[in-house]
Amino acid sequence: MTGEIGCDQVRDLAPELALGIAEGHERDAALRHLTGCAACRELVSEFSSVDGELLVLAAGKDPPRGFESRVLARLAEPSRDSRTEPLAPRRRWVVAVAAAAVVAAALGGGSVFWATADDRRLADSYQAVLSQGQGDFFLAAPLQGSDGRVGTVFAYQGDPSWAMVSIQPSFPEEGRFHVQVVTRDGRYLTLDDVNLGGADQAQGLQLPVDTSAVQELRFAESDGRAVLTATFDTANPWD
Amino acid sequence: MDASLVWNLSDESLLVGLGSGDPDAAAAFVRRFQRRVFGLTFSILRDRGAAEDAAQEAFVRAWRHASAYDVRRGSVAAWLLTIARNVSINMLPARRFDPIDPQDVLALDSRRPRGDGIEVRVVDSELLREPLARLPDDQRRALVLAVFYGFTAREISDLDGVPLGTVKTRIRSAMVKLRSQLKVSDDR
Repeated sequence: MTGEIGCDQVRDLAPELALGIAEGHERDAALRHLTGCAACRELVSEFSSVDGELLVLAAGKDPPRGFESRVLARLAEPSRDSRTEPLAPRRRWVVAVAAAAVVAAALGGGSVFWATADDRRLADSYQAVLSQGQGDFFLAAPLQGSDGRVGTVFAYQGDPSWAMVSIQPSFPEEGRFHVQVVTRDGRYLTLDDVNLGGADQAQGLQLPVDTSAVQELRFAESDGRAVLTATFDTANPWD
Repeated sequence: MDASLVWNLSDESLLVGLGSGDPDAAAAFVRRFQRRVFGLTFSILRDRGAAEDAAQEAFVRAWRHASAYDVRRGSVAAWLLTIARNVSINMLPARRFDPIDPQDVLALDSRRPRGDGIEVRVVDSELLREPLARLPDDQRRALVLAVFYGFTAREISDLDGVPLGTVKTRIRSAMVKLRSQLKVSDDR
């Protein structure tokens, strides 16, 4: 199956989409279709309900002695907070990218910052920003078009959570785009349209769910076809 | 929150309490769902140590992301068990290609599952129990492999030596029947 597919084919595939087991180009084509088809989205949502309720039918089993206490002890641990916890080495990449995102956004361009800032300054900046905004973490993902990368999406976990879309000046498809969030549990949430390209090289979006719940951000043209996607491989950089 | 009252709260209210850091609500939440969560993680991982790790992680994630729960998308139990299922699948070291008996996973022959003395809201899932038991064996097996173990249709095809199209049809037929059962309930 290649190219675009219609409602009939998506309806056939809806159970596998809802179960998260659809594969390859079939899945990609169906997801593109869902971006612009509310009826098919509703169908997938109904099948997703079946998936969840089937799990409730799993046979119960007594956990090992002391399980409850051990879970509650974990819940009572101090929250992993970047404001008080030393930064582990594996976090530094996230810190650098995120701090650069904030400062780049503040500057409206960011190319000078990217070229000159050092990691320590970035980390300090990151911690300061999170502290001011009571945020938890930042993520970053490449924004991909049909011919490769066209920008970056930075996502901030806080209250509220939001995303900043940064487009490269060379991006050719100036226009208005429908925006959709695909969550890690398979929901499709539609946000307000945004202008991208031309004079609009950066746009902010408030996210209706936690950043950790976001699997993908899609930007679609008026025909519903997703032309830009940003996929977040990591739900939470501290995990 | 009054510790003596918390045990009677709805699943949704307990989840709110868990997310807000209330220790009594957290204890009640874990006690209410621990048997169900551990049962699922053990069914998938079939190792008590790994199953406990997965079950613990599911509760921690539920606590951390309680605000993301949307009552319109299903019950708290379904939401929590979806988390537990995903954690477990990610912990599987490799695809397990030995036969899995759906009867080992599902409590099809029992009445309402036990919730450590606490009545758990399982209204929607109970609607599926009988239709699921009535499914042809091959459809139920394909469904269990997909739902509980995350097997794709192609993997089930390889595992059972059945054409891919046949597996897809089995999964689709089973899901359509079960969806219609939930939909009839919603329309009443």
